[in-house]
Amino acid sequence: MSMTPASRVELLQGTLDLLILRTLLLGRAHGHAIAKHIQRTSEDLLQVETGSLYPALHRLEARGWIAAAWELAETGKRAKFYRLTPKGRKQLLAEQAKWATFSRAMGLVLKPPGEEPV
Amino acid sequence: MIRILRKLGWTARRDRREAELRDEIEFHLQEETRQAEAAGMTSEQAQWAARRELGNVALTMEDTRAAWGWTHLERFWQDLRYAARMLRRNPGFASAAVLSLALGIGANTAIFSLLDAVVLRTLPVADPRQLVQFTNTLPLWDTGSDMASSLFAYPQLERFQAQSKTLSGIFGGTGLGRLVVGFHGTSQLADGDACTDNFFSVLGIAPQYGRFFQAGDDWARASIAVISDRYWRDRFGADPAIIGAAIMVNQIPFTVVGVAPRGFSGTSVGNGPDIWMPLHALDRLAPDSKRWTDPFSSWLLIAGRLGPGIQREPAQAELDAIRRQFLTERLSASEFGGLENVRHFVREGHLALRPAATGTASGLRDRYALPLMLLMWVAGIVLLVACANIANLLLARASSRRREIAVRLALGASRGRLIRQVLTESMALALMGGALAVPLAWWGGLLLVRMISTGESPAPLAVAPDLPVFAFTAAVSLLTGLLFGLAPALRGTRIDPGPAMKEGTRHASRRSRALDRILVVTQVALSVVLITGAGLFVRTLQKLWNAELGYDREHVLMLSVDAKLAGYPSERAGAVYREILEKLRILPGVKSASASVVRPVEDQFHLVDRVGEVDGFTLPERNAIRVEWNSTSPGYFSTVSTPLLAGRDFDLRDTEAAPKVVIVNASLARRAFPNRNPIGHKLGEATIVGLVKDSRVNGAREQPGPVLYYPLFQHGREQEYRWGFVSFELRYGARSGLLGEVRRAVASVDPNLPIFQAGTLRAQAEQSLLKERLLATLSSFFGALALLLACVGLYGLMACAVARRTAEIGIRLALGARRGHILWLVMSETLWLTVAGIAAGIALALWAARYAKSDLFGIGPADPATIAAAAAALTGVAMLAGYLPARRALRIDPVMAVRYE
Repeated sequence: MSMTPASRVELLQGTLDLLILRTLLLGRAHGHAIAKHIQRTSEDLLQVETGSLYPALHRLEARGWIAAAWELAETGKRAKFYRLTPKGRKQLLAEQAKWATFSRAMGLVLKPPGEEPV
Repeated sequence: MIRILRKLGWTARRDRREAELRDEIEFHLQEETRQAEAAGMTSEQAQWAARRELGNVALTMEDTRAAWGWTHLERFWQDLRYAARMLRRNPGFASAAVLSLALGIGANTAIFSLLDAVVLRTLPVADPRQLVQFTNTLPLWDTGSDMASSLFAYPQLERFQAQSKTLSGIFGGTGLGRLVVGFHGTSQLADGDACTDNFFSVLGIAPQYGRFFQAGDDWARASIAVISDRYWRDRFGADPAIIGAAIMVNQIPFTVVGVAPRGFSGTSVGNGPDIWMPLHALDRLAPDSKRWTDPFSSWLLIAGRLGPGIQREPAQAELDAIRRQFLTERLSASEFGGLENVRHFVREGHLALRPAATGTASGLRDRYALPLMLLMWVAGIVLLVACANIANLLLARASSRRREIAVRLALGASRGRLIRQVLTESMALALMGGALAVPLAWWGGLLLVRMISTGESPAPLAVAPDLPVFAFTAAVSLLTGLLFGLAPALRGTRIDPGPAMKEGTRHASRRSRALDRILVVTQVALSVVLITGAGLFVRTLQKLWNAELGYDREHVLMLSVDAKLAGYPSERAGAVYREILEKLRILPGVKSASASVVRPVEDQFHLVDRVGEVDGFTLPERNAIRVEWNSTSPGYFSTVSTPLLAGRDFDLRDTEAAPKVVIVNASLARRAFPNRNPIGHKLGEATIVGLVKDSRVNGAREQPGPVLYYPLFQHGREQEYRWGFVSFELRYGARSGLLGEVRRAVASVDPNLPIFQAGTLRAQAEQSLLKERLLATLSSFFGALALLLACVGLYGLMACAVARRTAEIGIRLALGARRGHILWLVMSETLWLTVAGIAAGIALALWAARYAKSDLFGIGPADPATIAAAAAALTGVAMLAGYLPARRALRIDPVMAVRYE
């Protein structure tokens, strides 16, 4: 928790779903682990709010992109584990492609080749 | 409702998910704490940090729940509970609204169920859209209009069946009329049809028990029969053992082989036969050798099924060509070949295929289609008026709820959410009204069927609520809910919360008053339309009832007897009828008695002929006089009080051996012998011995035409008593016990003689006006209902207005305004609203009445007296509705009123 607030990045609308799906590609995980994983892999730049994490998880579950089951965590407590469904995997690929296009487009506009970096 | 949802497992599932969500968040918290502790915090610090990180748990849970997609259902459920609470708090309003809706929706549903049964419903057979009925159209010489006839000759049916390639099946049939069916020693009358053996298979229906007719069943000695479901239940107690049982039809043995499925009652609406037999069974019931071979004697109804994918037009063209070919061939070989009218029929006539998905031609449908449509409109208007009333009540309530709504808006409720909530309330009202309407409609439907049934038993119409009727009720309920709920919902929520919370509860914006007024004016206008319509129908009924008919319907008892059904051959029938007449004549209390083939009021049938020879001169064929004819016994005219204008009535001299005589009516005399005394002249071979006044046999609507009367006991023999039954008329002084005496007298001649259609001439005359009575009664009922609703609406509006202006009136009174002035202040508004409504209503009524024109009699659709009466009635009642609140205004105590504000 040593990060200064200034260095954090606000999550863009709709990107949380993509992040969750991508995280679950590595295997099943419970809500807390998902949040921590996103935080860690983004080098603490992305902070997942619990207030948006659980609604997102339940929304994805309702859409059938992820499935949930109650299992024992490493600590021996019962936790709700989520995993990617085949439908979710397809969705992830589509979203990833869309995101790649989007970020490339943003990059092209913000940093046109041949222009000196700001 | 809760129970239903629980049954669906909804609430249980919801509770489980709720618990799981709590566990999930709890686990998150523990995990966070654990990791914080692992990072070196104290247990307390870690817990706090975890809580901080988690944020607002309640909000998180709320947002998560929203992801489950149940929110809509939950909100609906909330709204419903809220609506129930609101309605419980205003039981008076709720019950008034539900009751008026139930009445309105019930009336609509009842009439719709009858309209559905009579006009709309398709036959319960396979692919009814493929069914077509054969019709002949023939341009008439006299009028130039097309005459349609659905009757064909048997050889034509054979030709169609043999040659048509466009139809996949063609069947023919004919009504057998009244039959005596004996079973286990008891005899009862029944209605029968005869049909070709492919009738059921072309229709594509399966028997409930036993079998239907098969190819080969239709032969000269056919002795099998199929019975209808209704007959099976009523007569045979729904006993499956009836299959294979023997019954006697007109004393001739038949075997029941099948029971038709429930709901199937023939192909023509309203005349469901009890029993079907193969067409050639006619040879056993009423032998007629020429029936199967004569190409020009038309007696058979024909219908068929279009082949797969074939349209009606090509099929019609094919069959018309077959018809023409057939008739031309036969005409050259026929004795009729030289007759001009037969040639005309062949040359000018055409065959048309009528869609028969909803059944073959039906007299009941022809009679009632238009009246039922009119009544459907009327009932719809009543429902509209009821809707306007409820909308007004809701509007009034909405203005008293302005503060509540303003608070909710201020607290962040969205307008859509509030609209949905108010609408839920309206829908709940409408659906409760609809639910209550179903039993009401069922009862009303049965009542309506009885109102339009002429025979002893109700017409075979199924009006029990079925799927289309339920769908109609539900749709109407939802529509009404939307109709009366939308305006109050939209307007009640269009509020600026700030000012609305500051102002008093009584204030309502100007705009809202305009809407209320428009609703009341609409109500008044619609009531004017309905009252005018009711007036027109009531006056039509009166005029028809009071029309000069040419006979006296009071104190006459009538009954029909059929000697043929008791097994008498036609040679002996005359003697039986004569004997019955002698016995009836001497009954105590009977002043005179007579017999006739056609009754003085007859809706069942009339007999038509052409007179082609006058005083020995043969008239050119197209000038032959079309006459209706009847055969009467001596004493007929005095019994029914038709005045004899000249000459004599038939008497005992007119026997079979005596020279032929006839009596003519005034119209025939005028037509055949203009300005001359017809007595002694000859029509054909018969000499005219009497002249009687015109009498309207076909009801008051028809202009009387030429009628020819034959002496029953002279002419009947010649006609072989082919109609079978004869009607007896008795003019009586005292009626008590007369029918019993009559039955005993007939039984003393032969106990097997069936008596039917016994009743007074007056009752039969009333029956002939059933349609008019139905229209007059129902439109009056609906008119009164609409008037009542409109007055309640007006009263409500004015009461509200007075309440709203209490302070103003109080100040006026305090400043010394005269009471008359205050009264005028309130009444003038009522008056203006009423006048505006009446003006709009009259315009609407004038426009609408044109559509009812063909059902009116002796009165124009724009009858000034009727319209004036309707306007006067409405003004009177409206003034009363306005006076009650006005009186309250006069009683206002100025001091109290001013303080109150």
